[in-house]
Amino acid sequence: MKDLDFDVDKVLAKEFLSNFADANGEAKYMEILQEVANHKTRAVQIDLEDLLNYKDLDEEFLRRVTENTRRYIGIFAEAIDELMPVPTEAFTDEDHDILMTQRSDEGVENADGSDPLQKMPPEIKRYFEVYIRASPKGRPFTIREVKASYIGQLVRISGIVTRCSDVKPLMQVAVYTCEDCGSEIYQEVTGRVFMPLFECPSKRCVMNRNKGNLILQLRASKFLKFQEAKIQELAEHVPKGHIPRTMTVHFRGELTRKVAPGDVVEFSGIFLPIPYFGFRAMRAGLVADTYLEAMSVTHFKKKYEEYELRGDEEVQIAHLAEDGDIYNKLSRSLAPEIYGHEDIKKALLLLLVGAPHRKLKDGMKIRGDLHICLMGDPGVAKSQLLKHIINVAPRGVYTTGRGSSGVGLTAAVQKDPVTNEMVLEGGALVLADMGICAIDEFDKMDESDRTAIHEVMEQQTVSIAKAGITTSLNARTAVLAAANPAWGRYDLRRTPAENINLPPALLSRFDLLWLILDRADMDSDLEMARHVVYVHQNKESPALGFTPLEPSVLRAYISAARRLSPCVPKELEEYVASAYCSIRQEEAKSNTPHSYTTVRTLLSILRISAALARLRFSETVAQSDVDEALRLMQMSKFSLYSDERQKSGLDAISDIYSILRDEAARTNKMDVSYGHALNWISRKGYSEAQLKECLEEYAALNVWQIHPHTFDIRFIDA
Amino acid sequence: MVGLPYDFLVNPLGAVRSTFEKALASGSDPTSLDGKDWGVIELFRNFLFDQGGLSQAPVLNRATIRRVQPNTLVRFRGMIQDMLGNEFYVGAYKDDSVWRTNKFMDVSQFPMDTSSDKKVWERRLLYCVQVPGQSSWTEISSETVINGSMDWEFPLREKRRREVDESSDFMDILDSNDEVQSSSSMKKRKEDGHPSHASQSRGTLTVATDSSMCKVPNVDGDYTPCLVKIYDSPESDLKLNDVFEFIGVLTFDPELQTDKEDHNEFSIEFHEDALVQLPPNKVPRLHCLIHRKLAANDFLKSSPMMELKPHWVKSIREDLLKHLTAVLGNDDLAAHFMLLHLLSRVHARTETVAVGKLSLNFTCFSKESVSVFGNHLGDAIKNLIPFTHFISLTVDYLNTASLAPQKDYDTNRLVAGVLQLAEGSHLLIDETKLEAGTLNSVGVENARLLKILMEFQKVEYDFKFYKMDMAADVQLLILSDGKSNILPADLVVPFQPSTVDSLDSMPTEALEAWRWYLATVKLLPHSIESEMQKVVENDLVAARQADRNLGSQDFSRWLTMARLVSASFGETCLSLEHWQMVKELERMRKERLK
Repeated sequence: MKDLDFDVDKVLAKEFLSNFADANGEAKYMEILQEVANHKTRAVQIDLEDLLNYKDLDEEFLRRVTENTRRYIGIFAEAIDELMPVPTEAFTDEDHDILMTQRSDEGVENADGSDPLQKMPPEIKRYFEVYIRASPKGRPFTIREVKASYIGQLVRISGIVTRCSDVKPLMQVAVYTCEDCGSEIYQEVTGRVFMPLFECPSKRCVMNRNKGNLILQLRASKFLKFQEAKIQELAEHVPKGHIPRTMTVHFRGELTRKVAPGDVVEFSGIFLPIPYFGFRAMRAGLVADTYLEAMSVTHFKKKYEEYELRGDEEVQIAHLAEDGDIYNKLSRSLAPEIYGHEDIKKALLLLLVGAPHRKLKDGMKIRGDLHICLMGDPGVAKSQLLKHIINVAPRGVYTTGRGSSGVGLTAAVQKDPVTNEMVLEGGALVLADMGICAIDEFDKMDESDRTAIHEVMEQQTVSIAKAGITTSLNARTAVLAAANPAWGRYDLRRTPAENINLPPALLSRFDLLWLILDRADMDSDLEMARHVVYVHQNKESPALGFTPLEPSVLRAYISAARRLSPCVPKELEEYVASAYCSIRQEEAKSNTPHSYTTVRTLLSILRISAALARLRFSETVAQSDVDEALRLMQMSKFSLYSDERQKSGLDAISDIYSILRDEAARTNKMDVSYGHALNWISRKGYSEAQLKECLEEYAALNVWQIHPHTFDIRFIDA
Repeated sequence: MVGLPYDFLVNPLGAVRSTFEKALASGSDPTSLDGKDWGVIELFRNFLFDQGGLSQAPVLNRATIRRVQPNTLVRFRGMIQDMLGNEFYVGAYKDDSVWRTNKFMDVSQFPMDTSSDKKVWERRLLYCVQVPGQSSWTEISSETVINGSMDWEFPLREKRRREVDESSDFMDILDSNDEVQSSSSMKKRKEDGHPSHASQSRGTLTVATDSSMCKVPNVDGDYTPCLVKIYDSPESDLKLNDVFEFIGVLTFDPELQTDKEDHNEFSIEFHEDALVQLPPNKVPRLHCLIHRKLAANDFLKSSPMMELKPHWVKSIREDLLKHLTAVLGNDDLAAHFMLLHLLSRVHARTETVAVGKLSLNFTCFSKESVSVFGNHLGDAIKNLIPFTHFISLTVDYLNTASLAPQKDYDTNRLVAGVLQLAEGSHLLIDETKLEAGTLNSVGVENARLLKILMEFQKVEYDFKFYKMDMAADVQLLILSDGKSNILPADLVVPFQPSTVDSLDSMPTEALEAWRWYLATVKLLPHSIESEMQKVVENDLVAARQADRNLGSQDFSRWLTMARLVSASFGETCLSLEHWQMVKELERMRKERLK
C-alpha cells in the first residue's frame, strides 16, 4: 500500500519537475537538470516555495514532502533519474565516467543476477545531489523550539555556528570485487558506520559454496563530502536566565565548507535522530541523539543596503511615514530609558540615517556619513547612548579610546607565523565599514592614535603602506565619539576651546560636537529625585508617556529611508549659502569662538538636511530641513550660550528681542513674519514658547505690534 | 487506601507504572500523553506534602550517596549550574500490544523490540551542583559534619586535582597548568587498564573531581553533582543559578559506563556529548517528579514559624546589632551599615539600575587588622548567611582566576566561574593584599567583571561568540585600605575599631533567631506614603542643591537604605523617624570620610 503511494508520488514529482514554470515562464528545473547533465552543477535544489506555487498543487503531497523529507529526497532523485536529459555539451572524461562506461558494458553480463547486492544502486550513477529547501517565508525556529514532534520533518533554524569539523569523505556506496568469481558487489551505506561484507553473495559463489573473498574497491566506491558542525542559539533568542542550546548539523556534498565558526546562519534541514549502532543499539534507543541534515544554508546579512523588509514591516513603515511626527517619534525611541536629551537623540537618529554619498565627476568623493562627538560631564549617560546606538545599528563596533591603538582602529599588517606572509588585518573602523563605529573615552586616546582616524573621517579609507603592502581599505563608517572635557568636568572659567581640547583638524571633521553639561537646575533635580523615588517604589522605570518603537522597526524604517538620495533644489542654494555666511561672520565677531566654522561646516549642514529629507521619504531637501539642521548645530552648543547670556545679564526674552531687532535691521524691514522670526530664534536655540512670551511682553511695551492672527511682527519705529 | 501496589519511597516507579496503566485503562491514548502528567505528580505531591512524606525521603549528598539505593525516591538540593538541553527518549512503546512507558527511568524495564511502535518524548537535562559556598549549618542531615566549604586561602592553582577524564585522549586538556600532572595520571591509569574506581562495588557512587568535572573551582571534592531530568514543567520555571529542591527517582547504572568507550570509538567528529563526561557511575541521575524553589528560609534548620511581632523583631535586631558591633571591634556605625548590607537584595531591575543592592566598602583596613577583624567578620557572615564566598584579591589572582563562567565548546559544557553564584550569596572581597603590579588581559577582564557585578549586579557569561548578561543578586563586602577604585561600592565606610576582643562562640538559638530574622525581614514589602514621598523628594532636591556632586546613584542609595532601615524594624512603610535615621547615618559616614 505504502509502496504504491510512493510510486504515485514519484509520478507527481516527475510532473512537477518537468512542468513547473517560474515567474518568467521558464521550466526552471529542466534547465537545472540540463546543467547537471552537462556536469556544470551538482546540486538540484527543490524549493518548497515552488512546490507551493505550482499550478497543479497537491496539498497532501506538499505535506508529505515536508513531514517525510528524507524519503522524498529519494523519490525526487528517482524522478530525476528518469527525467535526466541527454548532455548537450561534451565534457572531459573523468575516471568516474570511464568506470561507468565499463560497468555499463559489463552490465549485460551481470544482469542475470537477481541478487540485490549485485544490482548497481542508482546512487553510484548519479552525478547530482537533491536538496529540498524549506519556504523562506515566516520566522525560522530557534533551536529551543524544535521539539520531538518535528523529528523527520523539514525545519528552518537560525543560529550561530560554534564548531566545524574538517570535511571528510563519507562512503555512500561501497563496491567490492570477489576474488573467486570476479563479480562486482555493491553495498549501499546509509549510516555513518557500516558492517563490511566478507563473503561473496553472488549466485556463483553461493552455489559453489566457496565463500568468495571480497575486496573493497575504494576507487570504484562512491564517497560524499561530509562535514559536521555545531550551532548554538543566538543570544537574543535565549530566554532570561537560560543557557543557549546547541544542535548538531550535518552537511553533505555541495553544502560542505559553507560555514565557519562565528557565522550567523539560517539552515533549512531535516531534523533526524541518529541511528544507534553497536552496543548502544542493544539498549534499543532509549535515548536518542538528534541532528539536522542541512538542506540549505543562508548567511545573515547585516547591512542596511541588504536589509530585506518583511511583509508586515513594510506596512508598518508606510503607516509611520504617513504619521507626521516621525522625526520625534523615532528619536524618542532611541534609548527610551535615558531621560531627556531629545536633541541629542535627534542628532543620533540622523547619524543612523546618514546622507547619500556623492561622487563627483572628477572622481572625488564626498562622504555622506555623519560624525558626531558627544562631549560632556561625567555621568550624563554618554556611554549608554553609544551602546544603545550600536545595538540599533545593523553593523556597529563599540570600542574605547583607551583600549584601542591606532592600529587597532584602522588596520595592521602582520606576519603570518606559519607561512611568513604579510597579512592585512582590519581594525575596528574597517570592520564597521558601512556601519557605525562608536569610540568611547575619545579624549583619553593617545594623540598619535587619534591622528589615524583623520583619514577615515574624511576620506573614508584606511591606507596602508607597510612591509610591501600598499593598499587602501574601505572604511565608510560613521564615527560616534564620546569624550570628557579637558579637565574631566567642563570648567566654565576657561574658554570653550580650552575645555574641548581636541585639535581643530579633528574637530572640524565632526558634523556635530555636542556639549552636554550637568548644570544646577532645580527642575531637573526634582525630576531626578522623582524618578529615583518612582523606581524604588514601583520597581520599574516610570512610564515613558509613549510606546517606544521596537529596535527592529527602527532598523527597518532607517533602512527604507537610506534608499533615498535627496538633493538640494536650486531655490535653496541661496538660503544655505547665506546661512553659512552668517555663521562665519558671527564667529569672526566673537572673541571666543565655540566652533571652527569651515567649508566642512557647510557640508555638514547639507548632510544633516539630506538626512532629514530622507527621514521624510522625500527626494528633495526642503527649507525646513535646513532650518532644523541649523537649529541642531546651534543646540549642540546651547549649554554654553545660555551660560554666556547669563553672564552678559541677558535673559532669554531680551535676547530674543535683540535677535529679532538685529535681523530686522539687517534686512532693513519693519515687518517680520512669524515664520521668519521662529526660524531665527530657533537657530539660536530658543523655543517657540519663549518667542511667544517675548512677543507678548514687548508688545505690551509698545515696541512692536503683533498681528492678532498670523502673529507677524511690525516694529513701531522709535 | 488498602494495599497500595507500590511504595512511594522504595518503588516510586511502581506508582508511575500503575498510574500509566490506569490512565490507559480509562481510555487515554498513549500518543496524547506526551508532555502531560497522568496523575503521577498529584499522587506524589499528596504523599510528600500532605502526608508528610518529604522528611522520609533521603537527601542525596556526599554522605548519603553510598547508602541510597537506585530506583528509590530521593531529594536533592542544589543550584542549577548548567543546562544540557533536551534529551529525546522513547516515552512509550508497545510491548506485545501493551503500551509501556519509560518516563522517569533511564533503562527500559522490559526488553524493547526495535520494530515495535514507539513514541519519542523529550525531557530536559539540568546539571546541578551543591550551592557554591553553602554554609555548613544549612545541611539537612544532622549526622554529617561537612567540612567548611568556604575556602579562606583560596589556592586555586595549588589545588589538588586528582584525575582526568578517561576520554582525554580525544580531548584537549583545557587547563595547561594541569597538563603535565594530568597526562601522567592518565598514563598511570592506562597502565592500570581501568579506572581506579571501577573496583568499587556496584551501587556505590563515587564522587570524583576530574579536571573536566570540577566545575566549581573553589570547592574541592566535597560536593555532589547531580544530573536532574525534568519532565513536562515549563521552561521558565527553572532558571540558571536558581536553588531548587528536586524530589525524584534516583537512577544509576554501572553498565552504562561501557557505553562511553563505545561512543568514543565511533564518534567521528566531536567528543562533546556532555553525557560522556558525566558517566552515570560518578554523577547520579535524578528523574525529577517534583521540584520547588528554595529561599533562604528553607535552609533554616527548624524553621520557627515566628510571627513578625514588633517587639520580637526589635529585640532580635538589637541583639544582632550588638553581635555585629562586637565583631567589628565596637564600631557601632560600621555595625549599622553591616546590618543594612546583610539585608540588601536586588528587588527590581530597570535597564540601568539594580534597585535594592547595597554593596559595602570598609576602608582603613591594614594587613594586620584584616587578619583579626576580617576573619571575625567572615565567620560571622558565614554563620548568618546560607551561601558565602571569600576572595582575596591579588594581582596574581586577578590575572589567573576564571571569574566568569565560560562555555567550553570542546565539552559543550558551561565551566563555572567564581562569580557563578546563587541568588542571595554573600561575597567578601579582601583587597588589602592587592599590591601594585601589571594586569594582563585576563586581569583586566576580571577587574571589569567585578566592576559590572558591583554596579549592575550582572555577570557576563562568556559564550565565546557572544556574551550574555546573567542577572545576579550578590551582597558584596569589600575590605580595603583606601577607598576601592577597582570595586566602587555603594557605601564607603572608614572602619574605626576601638577594641580587639576575642569572640565567644554564639549560642545556637541566638544564631538561629538571627538567621531567621535576616531571611524573613529581607523579604518584607516596602512602600512610601505620598506625604513621606514629598518629604523625601524635597530632601533629595535640597541635598543636590547643596552638593552638586550628588547624583541619582546617591539618591538611589538613600532610598535603598531607607527601605532597609524600616525593614530591619520589621516595618513595611517608611516613617519619618527612619528616614531621619538614614540621613543621620549618612551624615556620620560623611563625617568619617572627611
